[in-house]
Amino acid sequence: MKLHHLFRDIIHNRGQAVIFTLCVALSMVSLVAVNSLRRDVRGVIAEDAAALQGGDVIVRSGGEFTPALRDELARVVGEGMATATTAWEFHSVARREGGEAVLFSNIKAVSGGYPLYGTVELRSGRPFAEVLRPGAVVVGQALLDRLGLAVGDHLLLGEGRLQIVDVVVRESQRPVEFFTFGPRVFMSEGDLAITGLVGKGSRTSYRWLLRLADPGAAETVAARLQARAGEGERVATAATSGSRIKRFFDNLLFFLSLIAVFTLLLAGIGMQSSLAALLRRQVKTIAILRALGAGNRHILGHYLGLVLLLGLCGVILGIGGGLMLKGAVFQLLAGLLPEKLTLEASLADLFQGLGLGLTAVLFFTFLPLAGIARIKPAAIFRKETAGGLRRAMPRLALLLGLLLLSAVVVLQLDDLITGLWFMAAVLLLVAVMGGLAHLVLAGLARLDISSLALRQAVRSLSRPGNASRTVVVTLASALAVLFSIYLVEKNLRAAYIESYPADAPNLFFLDIQKDQRADFIDLVGSDAELFPVVRARLLAINDREIDRRREVERRGDSLSREFNLTYRDSLLADEKLVAGKGLFGGNRAPGGLPPVSLLDSVVEIGDMEIGDTLHFSIQGVSLKAEATSIRSRTRSLLYPFFYFVFPEETLKAAPQTFFAALKVPQGEASLLENRVVSRFPNVSPINVGESAVELGKLMAKLSLLVAFFASLSILAGGLILVGSILATRLARLEEAVHYKILGGDTAFVLKVFGLENLVLALLSGGAALLVAELGSWALCHLVLDISFRPYPLASLVAVGAITTVVVALGLLASVSVIVKKPGAYLREHSS
Amino acid sequence: MNLLTCLVLAAALLFSGCRGEEPAPQRAEVEEGAGGMVIVAMGDSLTAGHGVSFEQSYPSQLEKKLQAAGYAIRVINAGVSAETSSGALARLDWVLTMNPDIVILETGANDGLRGIDPQVAEDNIRRILGTLHERGITVVLAGMRMVRNLGPEYVARFDGIYPRLAKESGVVFMPFFLEGVAMAGRFNLEDGIHPNAAGYEKIVDNLLPYVVQAIEKHQAQAGGG
Amino acid sequence: MASPILVGERLCKSYVRGDRKIQVLYEVSLAVDQGEFLVIAGSSGSGKTTLLSILSGLDLPSSGRVILGGRDITGLSEDQLAPLRNRQTGFVFQAFHLIPSLNALENVMFPAELGKDPEARAKAMTLLERVGLSARAGNFPEQLSGGEQQRVAICRAVINRPALLFADEPTGNLDSRNSEGIVELLLDLHRNQGTTLVMATHSPALAARADRLVRLHDGAVVTSADRSL
Repeated sequence: MKLHHLFRDIIHNRGQAVIFTLCVALSMVSLVAVNSLRRDVRGVIAEDAAALQGGDVIVRSGGEFTPALRDELARVVGEGMATATTAWEFHSVARREGGEAVLFSNIKAVSGGYPLYGTVELRSGRPFAEVLRPGAVVVGQALLDRLGLAVGDHLLLGEGRLQIVDVVVRESQRPVEFFTFGPRVFMSEGDLAITGLVGKGSRTSYRWLLRLADPGAAETVAARLQARAGEGERVATAATSGSRIKRFFDNLLFFLSLIAVFTLLLAGIGMQSSLAALLRRQVKTIAILRALGAGNRHILGHYLGLVLLLGLCGVILGIGGGLMLKGAVFQLLAGLLPEKLTLEASLADLFQGLGLGLTAVLFFTFLPLAGIARIKPAAIFRKETAGGLRRAMPRLALLLGLLLLSAVVVLQLDDLITGLWFMAAVLLLVAVMGGLAHLVLAGLARLDISSLALRQAVRSLSRPGNASRTVVVTLASALAVLFSIYLVEKNLRAAYIESYPADAPNLFFLDIQKDQRADFIDLVGSDAELFPVVRARLLAINDREIDRRREVERRGDSLSREFNLTYRDSLLADEKLVAGKGLFGGNRAPGGLPPVSLLDSVVEIGDMEIGDTLHFSIQGVSLKAEATSIRSRTRSLLYPFFYFVFPEETLKAAPQTFFAALKVPQGEASLLENRVVSRFPNVSPINVGESAVELGKLMAKLSLLVAFFASLSILAGGLILVGSILATRLARLEEAVHYKILGGDTAFVLKVFGLENLVLALLSGGAALLVAELGSWALCHLVLDISFRPYPLASLVAVGAITTVVVALGLLASVSVIVKKPGAYLREHSS
Repeated sequence: MNLLTCLVLAAALLFSGCRGEEPAPQRAEVEEGAGGMVIVAMGDSLTAGHGVSFEQSYPSQLEKKLQAAGYAIRVINAGVSAETSSGALARLDWVLTMNPDIVILETGANDGLRGIDPQVAEDNIRRILGTLHERGITVVLAGMRMVRNLGPEYVARFDGIYPRLAKESGVVFMPFFLEGVAMAGRFNLEDGIHPNAAGYEKIVDNLLPYVVQAIEKHQAQAGGG
Repeated sequence: MASPILVGERLCKSYVRGDRKIQVLYEVSLAVDQGEFLVIAGSSGSGKTTLLSILSGLDLPSSGRVILGGRDITGLSEDQLAPLRNRQTGFVFQAFHLIPSLNALENVMFPAELGKDPEARAKAMTLLERVGLSARAGNFPEQLSGGEQQRVAICRAVINRPALLFADEPTGNLDSRNSEGIVELLLDLHRNQGTTLVMATHSPALAARADRLVRLHDGAVVTSADRSL
């Protein structure tokens, strides 16, 4: 093997060599980035959970802790295993000194050292522990606004008089207590005695937070404390309490991993096909070498060297790109990822990337390289330049590729079962695509098409020995993956991101009475959305009584609880009808049962269907209604949803309150709360504050992140496309020459090429869309556990776009063919 | 880690109602002109029986006890969890459609737990009592006391409502609905505020004499008028 | 004597290959009469194929001009040439150049269909019958022998009854038995339909049957003998 021979071959085939290298790089970029990110995030996730929960171990009770538990805690602390703080939480009515104003507030009494994890950011920027001294309170801005107080003033809490010393800007634990009545007040636990608020006869949530010297010992310490815990005393670890956090990150990283694996797969196909195309051009050379007596070892060695050289370039490019991508992700997620997470490229990342990359290169190039061994010296005499290596994806390579993929997938997804499911899905995908392509192509070949150009285009697809089926399977599989990513991403967006639009409500009011409705709207403005709420219970479905004992054991929602019924005549903005003619079934016979529209989730719980008779008890009064429609909602979590919707006339007389959702500029929320509450003292406001806005922004960032990773796989798809056009250029050239020799003009040649690509693209795109819809439905339902929407219009637009790109690229690549004189081609290729 | 908020949100949302609550169902259908006396138990979660089974809620236990004592009386559970006195007032007409002979009124606790001005609860309950009186319905008013952590001033104002209203209206008055049950660990669920089955049993034991008193009062009124 | 159907005037052709300029044709002039059978002879590399492609308009000369049916086709665009190639000329290649995705019948039909001839199928069938391939009409090129492929190619070249038929070493890839058949077929067409036949070959036997012979050597005409006299 001579190095300058390698370089000469690379330069001679630079188009395919560049595509091959880029494919290798691309396969690496997202894998390296996701793996590196995952390790970092996993490493700090426990700490995150602790920050959110306030400790590694949390001990809770509704009453004062029993002496046994207190002693055990003292021992744990005494042994140096942990530091502990208290965080007693309760509601109280805070009063303004020298004024009438009172405000229902959320008090948290903490001892020194709080917070053990996470932060309480103060407006002054000073450390929380220094600020909260005996006799002082730190309050939320809303409290100042609503009581008309300022920092430095005094606040009356129970019998205590405490000075406001600072304002809370952000609490890392606040998200856990998202919906609470009243603004926050922090006070020292030592001051509780002065206030007289906590003790016998008060309702307090007692909590100890522990920070362990060895966070790994959380389970041990928790078990030790649990052993001494009395009735009503609960011990939890941050990991168990924060399982939702872990689940969210697992979901995100899992999805990114899936994209990375898909990208690897696509890039692998790209590597395989570009190398095959490169070698195809070398068939004659190889045949001559063989005729001259060169052994397999010599020839294989040469091309293996070529592959490894290009592969190494790609891997290095890919690892570099991956680490840069990780850096970009860091920038993107600034504030989302914990500060402790530092951007570092560990040696492990490099080695893992190198290993993964070279393995992938070897596996995906195995087949084309193995094809070299099958080239006979006789190939010299064959004119058919595209022969020899044409049949691209035989079973053996498929099997080997799948083996690699299985290994990588299982490794990447960190879950054997899910990994195997994924592989089964991939197998199914290829099989389905192969079957579909075979059926459609065979069907097309039988068609008697009268248009010459169209017939010619279709015939070109199914000519004997042609690789159309392989191309369709490859293209369709790639597109199916791309469409799936697109669909899953859209669904994830809908589930997690669009549920928190920038204009999501941030202020809610409960218990608005019917006769207060008009005045309430006058006060807050007509932007407020008011939802009537009628409390009721479901007694029976079709005279089948609800089995209350069974319902109680149900893990999800229960049919035996009190439901909130509502009435209105139209769908909400985030709802759509999935069954039934209109919300209340169109025209209804007079004297029949009143109609009721059901939400799909309750239909699932109760196994109901349209036409069922539902028997409700509205606070003692019986109501039977007929199910007339089923609605689905798009998970706008910040909007109220109702399982059962009635026409207004049915529930008009029933006892009802109204629930209001408002979007108010942050600075005005407190004032509005004050105005509402002083006018309607029975109405309770819930201010979700800036969290909702912040949430919206972060969700947008997440969406960008996912889109970014997805775009990498789209890039891989693009490379395959360009590669395949480059690879078939020779064949197209030959066809164009034939047409021209026989008297076809430019328009005819363009028409045939355009139609061929159109049929190919539509076939691949259609099959891909079909499979993608099914696949992403399964992914959403079985793995991500979010609701699925098919987005038919957007999908068709995507197929249209892909088709346009394929046809346009195909034509672009054919232009040079068309302007050439046939004689020139014949001269260059016939000798 | 604000990202987590969204997950927490999903769980914390109020809109889905109080998940996990095990309510008492309302089996009795109210029929016009049905024989015997009808008692409507009107109230919040303490009446609905938040967290206990239907049979364990106080209206069910009360009905059993009354029937065991030989009264042909039905007790209808008209409790709505999380309801404030404003809600109770608003649905009074609805309750009246059940034509009760006696109403056991237990409301206001949620006003207190949300720190709503005690004057609101007082006005609401006063209006409810007024309407019930006009209709000739005998009332058992269940008194409520507020938890200490709301502060002595608030607690004093709140606790004063019930005796004052009872005195004004002359209804049968049970001074404290949760007498001997509130803050007693063995009578309450883990949340420390809702009674368990044993708690409701004790409540019914406490309540029974007042109900019997109301029944006698009602019968006397019916006989006299 | 009939007017020439095809005239090549002072045709030169050179390529640049690497850093060398290769002169393939050197001032070749010739005229082909209507109905004539002209053989362009010469050894391998003498420029026969290049001359044929230039005369048929498949390639451009570096200088000089080609006049086909009285019309200068040298400067015509590909699209202007298309109808000429379709109707007035036919080409038979050494390597057959059948369209691999079409069966024999479709290959033959193709030029007629391009010219929107409604009789395309019938004409093609007739031609295939004439060359004894009607049974193989549905076969694809790769399923046909070399001789069969060349017969199909000839049918394709003549389906639009071109006045002028070019044949570049039509028997070059065939064994002697098949060669004989092909030659007979071409000559038959020439004789019975009056088709002008311009054939490049290095076969002396074939050259001997031509009306006239133009011999090329290193890109220049060395002999032009009129055999018909």
